[in-house]
Amino acid sequence: CFCCLRGNNNCAEPGCSVLRQFRCSPASAKSQPEHVRFVNDNDTKKTKSLVTQEDLFEQVAKESKTKATFNQVIDVFTKRDIRRRGHVEFIYAALKKMPEFGVERDLTVYNKLLDVFPKEVFVPRNFIQRMFNHYPRQQECGVQVLEQMESYGIMPNIETKVLLVQIFGEKSHPIRKYQRIMYWFPKFKHVNPFPIPQPLPEDAVDLAVLSLTRIANDLDAKTTVYQLPFTDITESGEEISFPHIVGIQSPNQMELLAKHNPNRPVFVEGPFPLWLKKTCVYYYILRADPTPPEEKEEEVYDPERCFYYPLQLDLDLDRDLGDEENFDVDDLDEGPVFAMCMTSRGDQTTLNQWISGLQQNNPILGRIPTLFRLDAGTRELEGVADTEAGHSHRPHPQSQREDGPPAEDPEVAVEEEKPRRSQGMKQ
Amino acid sequence: MQLIAKLIKINLIAKLTFNQALTQMGYRRPGQPREDKPPWWRVKFDLSKGLKGMKRHFTLLKEEFFAQFIGPMGKPIIEHMLEQNQVLWEFRGPHSLQEWTISCDREIGGKSEIYLKVGRNNETCLLYGTLCSDPPKDGETRYSGYCTMRAKQPLASFDRKRYHDWSSFNTLHLRIRGDGRPWMINVIAETYYTHQKDDMYSYFLYTRGGPYWQDVKIPFSKFFLAHRGRVQDDQHELWLDKINAIGFTLGDKADGPFQLEIDFIGVCKDYAHTEDFAYEKYKRNPEV
Repeated sequence: CFCCLRGNNNCAEPGCSVLRQFRCSPASAKSQPEHVRFVNDNDTKKTKSLVTQEDLFEQVAKESKTKATFNQVIDVFTKRDIRRRGHVEFIYAALKKMPEFGVERDLTVYNKLLDVFPKEVFVPRNFIQRMFNHYPRQQECGVQVLEQMESYGIMPNIETKVLLVQIFGEKSHPIRKYQRIMYWFPKFKHVNPFPIPQPLPEDAVDLAVLSLTRIANDLDAKTTVYQLPFTDITESGEEISFPHIVGIQSPNQMELLAKHNPNRPVFVEGPFPLWLKKTCVYYYILRADPTPPEEKEEEVYDPERCFYYPLQLDLDLDRDLGDEENFDVDDLDEGPVFAMCMTSRGDQTTLNQWISGLQQNNPILGRIPTLFRLDAGTRELEGVADTEAGHSHRPHPQSQREDGPPAEDPEVAVEEEKPRRSQGMKQ
Repeated sequence: MQLIAKLIKINLIAKLTFNQALTQMGYRRPGQPREDKPPWWRVKFDLSKGLKGMKRHFTLLKEEFFAQFIGPMGKPIIEHMLEQNQVLWEFRGPHSLQEWTISCDREIGGKSEIYLKVGRNNETCLLYGTLCSDPPKDGETRYSGYCTMRAKQPLASFDRKRYHDWSSFNTLHLRIRGDGRPWMINVIAETYYTHQKDDMYSYFLYTRGGPYWQDVKIPFSKFFLAHRGRVQDDQHELWLDKINAIGFTLGDKADGPFQLEIDFIGVCKDYAHTEDFAYEKYKRNPEV
């Protein structure tokens, strides 16, 4: 209740049974402050060496580093001394150790850490204290706790605010930082037009389906799982694992592929990286080069295809002077993309399987030569004609499209430092 | 006596070079020794380069002089008044890369890398590299891992600053192909006081990834003011009449390779967008 928040120890409000001791939060009111000896004080006093606060973490959480042990360490510290000596260093050490324990995204742990501060000591009580940045070191420590929360993108809750008000007072730096977080975070939480579900699906096939629907740019596109991952034991006892193959193709792409000239080859290019928050997945595409202008034919619209409205209008819409909505840029024609796929192992046999799977819905693929252009950075160009041989390999003056360096590319690390604007090594 | 005079002289020189180091050389990486060369030492005297430079500057001056007779900004006035789209940077060929500078946290001792090259068929530009968010071990830096690309300040004749004037537009239009990483677009406007030197108006650029191009339209009312990366309390809208540069930054803490392909950057006037500013302007941090 409110009067408890303001620090009234003996609350006269009916129904309020929280009796807390001075300078402690109501959370610990249930347990009496016992001196729990987890650490053997006698030994440390004899040796008299410099003991950092991080050693406390190492000692108490020797066997496993989990949230429970982290909470345990904080409890050890709080129950050790009523005055909480060295709490600033302890909190800084705790902030540094949080990623090791895996609790950096847990709001309850941050609240428990803020609970380590003694309450009401740092609240300024008169105008001189308010003027002169009362207890600057502790305020800076509070701000650093909030800053770590901000950098991990964790939204604080009302309990954080209550704690901060109890510890530092209403117009302190940590409260200002809290107010800034609470102003900007809700504004930017849903600003991503392509949101990624959190947590990401762990199954590789589900992840592949999610990412393929994301890059397809077409809601009509359909994903097909051509092969689920499984391991096969051969006669000699070896275990061969087969990767998953998931492909996607939309009706527009199927139409484009059906209209493709069988004399021209199609290319399987890859792997291209796609980042989802912190995981990188790779996808392969089936594409063709753009048709040269002499072979382009005008699509004739059949007026009987749709009776509800005309498909082609020959009106001369009078636009106002300067009412141009398009930019004065040359349109890039990069050639149609026919299908995309994702697989964990991108060698030619797997991709061949994908192509044969695609062939079931696109019979024209059986007649078109397929060339494999799998990243020339680490792997050599494997140029193979799939079926109907005898079509000459057309010269491709263009360099590889979207050179995607895979994560395990060693040439990136070896690359010497070149001046910034020069064209770096083609990867 | 002589010793005292020498000490005073050394002190003076040290102070002068210190000031120069701060103001002229820009950021000094922690741990690097300070250069004690006087400023005139750095100028290179070369006759042929000087003559070429003079020719270039005088040509620019002549063009500027005669551009005034055509109309404002060198375009006829009817075009300037009525234009709704303007393509600012179109990446067609290696000459378009001259206007851009790239930088990454290697300058402060980090391990990221960034390269800029022309894309396939000389038709796009590809910004690629690796991001590494290990902070440099110099005792003062805590976070690291960023890569940026920034347009150079447009220059008039004799290296005078020239500004972009986008006052007749209200939306930024980009055609990009990313790999799913979230970037940040920064617009640097001209400021008056030196305290405002690192002021930037930023907004997020989320890429979808995939083989298809992505058209991104960001109205200028969405850009928020940040100074050295810290979002400010007193927000106001971006004034479009004097823009110095535009930049892209990648700072998501995902280590690994990245790439961004840009086709063109333009500004356009969206009549349907009537918002002045997306964030509140009232005083959010009243005095204690």
